[in-house]
Amino acid sequence: MTDSATELRPAVSVDAVMADLQGRVRERLRADLLRHGASPSFADAQLFADVERVLHAGVDSGTSNALLLPELLGDPATWRLETALHLDSHRASAAAAVVTFVKRRLVLPVVRWLFEYNRDNFERQRRVNAVLFACVQELAIETAKLRQEVVPPK
Amino acid sequence: MKLACVVQRYGADIAGGSEAHCRALAERLAGSHAVTVLTSCARDYVTWANAHPAGETVENGVRVVRFPVRRQRHLGHFSDLSDEVFDGPTARERQQAWFAENGPDVPDLLAHLRTHATAYDLVLFWTFRYSPSFFGLPIVADRAVLLPTAEEDRALDLGILEGFFNTPAGYIFLTPEEAALVEARAGGRLRPATTIGMGLDASPASPGSQQALAALGVPPRYVLYLGRVDRNKGCHTLLEYFEEYVAAGGDTTLVLAGPAKIRIPAHPRIRTLGYVPDEARDALISGAQALVVPSPYESLSIVLLEAWNRGVPALVNAQCAVLKGQVRRANGGLHYRSQREFSEGLDFLLRHRAERDQLGLQGLAYVEREYRWPTVLRRVEALLDEVMTARRAREQAEASSTG
Repeated sequence: MTDSATELRPAVSVDAVMADLQGRVRERLRADLLRHGASPSFADAQLFADVERVLHAGVDSGTSNALLLPELLGDPATWRLETALHLDSHRASAAAAVVTFVKRRLVLPVVRWLFEYNRDNFERQRRVNAVLFACVQELAIETAKLRQEVVPPK
Repeated sequence: MKLACVVQRYGADIAGGSEAHCRALAERLAGSHAVTVLTSCARDYVTWANAHPAGETVENGVRVVRFPVRRQRHLGHFSDLSDEVFDGPTARERQQAWFAENGPDVPDLLAHLRTHATAYDLVLFWTFRYSPSFFGLPIVADRAVLLPTAEEDRALDLGILEGFFNTPAGYIFLTPEEAALVEARAGGRLRPATTIGMGLDASPASPGSQQALAALGVPPRYVLYLGRVDRNKGCHTLLEYFEEYVAAGGDTTLVLAGPAKIRIPAHPRIRTLGYVPDEARDALISGAQALVVPSPYESLSIVLLEAWNRGVPALVNAQCAVLKGQVRRANGGLHYRSQREFSEGLDFLLRHRAERDQLGLQGLAYVEREYRWPTVLRRVEALLDEVMTARRAREQAEASSTG
């Protein structure tokens, strides 16, 4: 597959049009946010663009598995959203089989719509959590780089 | 060469993307190879109920052998198992059970691969996620070529896939983004490989376009969504964005052509056509100001290539790396990641006629360059030759070491 970069310059460049377009969108968004009471720091267009860049990097990498925070949080049972339904029982094996059968075959079909509604919402929350982890990671990287510039490593 | 193509369903009556890809390539390869398609008797991808008779037929010059589905997919079990394995790290056996439950369950096809492996020089497998590929490919690993048709979804996160993706003797990808995605899951570069997309013939002029559009009640200025109108395809967001665009003064009509699986709001600027026949489909694409592709998950958007094949530019969801990559490589449209970018992008395409037409022409030039059948077949043949040569070299080396 040919890389467009090696081709002749196109008469209309998508990247150039998108850069203009995204610039206009960014400016309108910044004005809207300021009008709605966002931080006065956003009055600085360049600072706003930098903030957007950092957060975008977080959003773009939020679906990957390359995140540090989940490792640092430790035992997943204490923080990870569990969206799967584990149908079991603490009772002895025969009773547990009956209870599990009733849950799976009688109760679950009736409430499946509610379960699926909640699961879909938890999935969204899971995505937001991952994006937030990634944004924190991006911010930490930026901070670490700045620290290295100010105080070079020995 | 004697080639086998393994795919979950097969036939002219099957609408699925990977199935259509398999059929198109098998029919083209049959011109220079002995091609056998190994597939199930299913037509319905939800239940996998047997619909075609089992046994051998010849369809458009391709030998097709269909194997009966042993049991239909139980949606409740599959849904519960999906929740379990996608929820986090699970045992290898449970992940294997997910692939088995996903079906179609065709034990005779797997038995055929075990007993007839040497009857084929190479075996091509379409779509990693279905049972025939997942369980069939390791049986003939030394001669297997995988077309993963992978997209960004949770099935790709299953740990068991790292080994699976490293098993085949060769790979055919649809886009560079798909190759990167699969290589990331496999933990390294996968070779030998080629990227082919989908072969297309030049689009014939459609002289009856205006009459066909008038018969459908389509206005002269419209943007087109073509395909299943479904939440999974991003259509609920498209409708929301479009309503917002029109409310802010946008001046066009959104035409939705395809079976609707979600509620579509009654709106004077949204025209719903439902399923449309092929002639109307061609006319709709040719007459559109732009094609909109809102899907967040695609391994290759065939409808996008069809639009470019007719010189029509596109506005695509940038959340889908494949769509964004295609549009940037082709210089054939714009992409959006928010309501604001959607409105701004659509406005640009509608208000700048010369640039819009040029983007469409650049899309057509990209199709001419990358997706004409001779180009696609040349890439496939080169890959098959490379895999075959490597296999023979391996076999000779083994023979000389044991002799």
